[in-house]
Amino acid sequence: MENSKRNNRGIEENTMAILDASGVKDAQDVDDDRLSFLEAVRASSIVPESGTAPTGKMLGAIFQILKDGKSLELTMASYQLLNALDKHFPRVYLSHSDKSKLSSTKQFELVVKEAWSPFVLGSEGVYSGREAAVKHSSEPLDSFGFHLLIQDIAQVANGANFQVFDTKPLGDMLAFQYLVNVLEGDFLPRNTAYRETKNWALLRESMLNMILEAFLLLISGGKGEGFQTRYNVQGSRRISYKSLIKDCVSIISNRCYLHAGFSLYDLKTPEESSAKTIHSCDAAVSIALVELGKGTCTAVQKLLVLIMELDMSKKQADMQGCTTRADGVRTPLVEIILDELTYNEDLLSPFFQAFSEPKWKLEMILQYFWKYITKPSVRTRRSNNSSEDATFGGVLKCFSNGTNTKSIIKKISTEVSQLLLAHAFQAYLSLQHSVEDIADSREDIGGSSVVQICESMISAFHNLRRMDEDVEIMPLAKEALFTAATILSTKS
Amino acid sequence: MIRDGSVVRCNEVHFLVGVVIEQNVCELLGLVKLVHIFIQTKRKSDIPALRNKQLDVINDVADLPHPNAQNEFLNYVCILGHQMEEISSEDDISLWGLHVFGNQKTPPPLVFPELGSCMLLQSVMNNELNSVLEIRAEKGETFLTGLLINGWLSKLVSTRGHVEEIVATWSFNLMLYSSKEELRTSACDFWCAILPSKNEVDLPSVKLDWLPSYAELKRALEIYGFLLDSSINNSSMSEMVCTDSNSEGPPQNIRTWFKFLAACCQVRSARTIFSTSEAEELAGLIIWLLLDRQLQGLSLLLYECMLSVINFFTDKEWNISCKNVAESLAYRIPKDMNCLRIVECISGISTRSKHLRSVVAFRILVNCFDGKVTDAEDILKMLMSVNVKDKKCDFFKMYIYLVLTENWLLADPLLVNKTMIFEMWGVCLRNCSCQISSTDLRSYASKVRNKASYLLQSTVSR
Repeated sequence: MENSKRNNRGIEENTMAILDASGVKDAQDVDDDRLSFLEAVRASSIVPESGTAPTGKMLGAIFQILKDGKSLELTMASYQLLNALDKHFPRVYLSHSDKSKLSSTKQFELVVKEAWSPFVLGSEGVYSGREAAVKHSSEPLDSFGFHLLIQDIAQVANGANFQVFDTKPLGDMLAFQYLVNVLEGDFLPRNTAYRETKNWALLRESMLNMILEAFLLLISGGKGEGFQTRYNVQGSRRISYKSLIKDCVSIISNRCYLHAGFSLYDLKTPEESSAKTIHSCDAAVSIALVELGKGTCTAVQKLLVLIMELDMSKKQADMQGCTTRADGVRTPLVEIILDELTYNEDLLSPFFQAFSEPKWKLEMILQYFWKYITKPSVRTRRSNNSSEDATFGGVLKCFSNGTNTKSIIKKISTEVSQLLLAHAFQAYLSLQHSVEDIADSREDIGGSSVVQICESMISAFHNLRRMDEDVEIMPLAKEALFTAATILSTKS
Repeated sequence: MIRDGSVVRCNEVHFLVGVVIEQNVCELLGLVKLVHIFIQTKRKSDIPALRNKQLDVINDVADLPHPNAQNEFLNYVCILGHQMEEISSEDDISLWGLHVFGNQKTPPPLVFPELGSCMLLQSVMNNELNSVLEIRAEKGETFLTGLLINGWLSKLVSTRGHVEEIVATWSFNLMLYSSKEELRTSACDFWCAILPSKNEVDLPSVKLDWLPSYAELKRALEIYGFLLDSSINNSSMSEMVCTDSNSEGPPQNIRTWFKFLAACCQVRSARTIFSTSEAEELAGLIIWLLLDRQLQGLSLLLYECMLSVINFFTDKEWNISCKNVAESLAYRIPKDMNCLRIVECISGISTRSKHLRSVVAFRILVNCFDGKVTDAEDILKMLMSVNVKDKKCDFFKMYIYLVLTENWLLADPLLVNKTMIFEMWGVCLRNCSCQISSTDLRSYASKVRNKASYLLQSTVSR
């Protein structure tokens, strides 16, 4: 053990020396050295059968190269290396103990390694890391640095305006994707272990929870207030949990990658090629932009799903009395998103168009409906065991008679109803597919069969049309109905 | 105008204002500014961007009203080009990078009027529900496009368990040739969803009336402008200026091409789309594409694709296929920094990619010695015999040998117990690290020394 530690230090010294910028060097040489450094870490940690994990200092240096975003080559290489290293040397993982072979119950042990993290966590991060967050400097990120990063990306996504040689936005996007991967790698095994053991402390100590808690600390704590005013002075940027989520929703809804980085290299049909489509855009950056933009949207979605899973586990822990006052009270993410979508109805369609994770997509839509369907007891009931009313089948039942339908479309327009029904149906079918894959059971999640759901979908739209004669059925809804009809004709 | 190769100044550009329209001057000024930045930083990675900018400026020339103005202007841009060229050849630190894509060709048509008569639509058109849906055969393509974009189509075909030929070819062409991001990615998602089987060994879950073949994928790449025998990129700037490179470089569809290829390789148990030799060729191709700087931003995609392709082979096939892939690459690769790039871009993250990395490095090394030595011991003897004190010693070559040898020795299973080889390697490294003086200013001398002492240190600590 002692020996391997000394060994590690030797490797660290030797490898870090590559980055040593003493001597006369131009920019190209510095870049070259950084590349050789990355390659050296790969060669000593990943390629050999029993590679040694890089030290915290080395990992910090790689993360710094990623954050700097100096050139596309460096950014891509550092991002790839960090992810490969995390996969090779996970910080948190579940080990299956040998007992599980004997007993029928699964037995996990959660292994948490003490390792470098790109985040500064806990309360010391709130105060000591603030300078770092403001300056985007070389320290690991705290919650605010994380939020600033998301804000930067959201601004780029809004403007979609790239400078010819600016690789910084690409660096931001990849740094963000990496951070979400880190959060995920830390959270998922903890959540699995929590479900087995009901030990809330496992999740309380997850990076994700600690980052979100830091936002609460900021709002309630006295020192935090001073900090917040300081931030507001720093420009028009407001830091809060809600505005973080707002930024996330806007990144997803914008789907900036659909409109980014094109023209110069698009295939042209003969008629088009005469049209002038040349833009000053670095070829490599323009090709990368779409892919990385898309990856960023996926990462934002992943982050939201992780928070929603955390909320769910926390609610469970609350009910079992495992949480304490120190845990703080956070508004569930689904509620924040739904508020944002209600307030900003233009986002509704693009958000659900882009949000593809079926479980939470369906959950959000169902909760949206239940806000407007008058059934007072339903919300308390659904928190315990999923009663039938809280399922998609339950919502469709509300559209099965004229009076109910009328009262719903009075509160939410026919258009929104159509949109939500179609998206919910789609999410329902996706879930259905994954259920079939696992168990090959045609049983529905929540009671009714696929055939029943399809029939109810069609009758719901008949009712919508009866209530509102002039209603135009939207293309998305037509496609949903077409799918329902096809399923009915093949399954019955 | 400026013949002695001195740097063009901004005010000299204003000299041209009389003959060119203002917008072009702005563009040209932008270019001059970039050249100046380049002169200061000498960052070679800026060169491709500079070239693009230059092309932009040249493309605008066509709009100039007078032929005289056009000539004057072109002249000027050419001078700038030569200046860039001179600077980039000033110091001889070379960079990797090949010109893998040339001019694009015309893609096949994407309009399929017969789509309206496909069974998928017909089955519902006769349904009473069509009074609401109002699908008509002539609008069939629009409706199917909606189904594709919004993700219904994969659900529909997996319900029906069947994809008709017309739907398959239509979506395949959209995936590889549509210039609309939404269409090509939805089509790619569709194909990636229908290709796999339900469980690992099962029969395919969806019956496909048409499956693309290797030839189709290859053809797409050629339409994207892929140069089969892509020669070395050191094509000079002036050459670049003179060719009409309106659509050089791959289109965005290259991304869906990679994803689709990866998906095809992953479903071998359910559908065999490629033969073993075709897969070998594809593996070589993917690695080759990593040499194009334009595709740097897609390297993650390329790495994933590479892993899928090398996992395509069965364990039995792998040893031979790995050698074949390595040999074809080694045979084609120019003996410069590209050798190192090609080895380093094989990630070494899985057992097979480690193996491939080692074999490729070995094959290139053999090729570097013109095949005169093929045995591990002989190669190391050769390296040991290099006299680094010799005035004529080629340090650039030595640098390449060092990196290649390191990568080869790192993961060659045949050498595990041959301590002699590693001792020889140690001697070679000591030669380089101790015998090159730190005041040796010849290019690459210090790089060789630093590399060798790093490698020496790390073999000791290992």
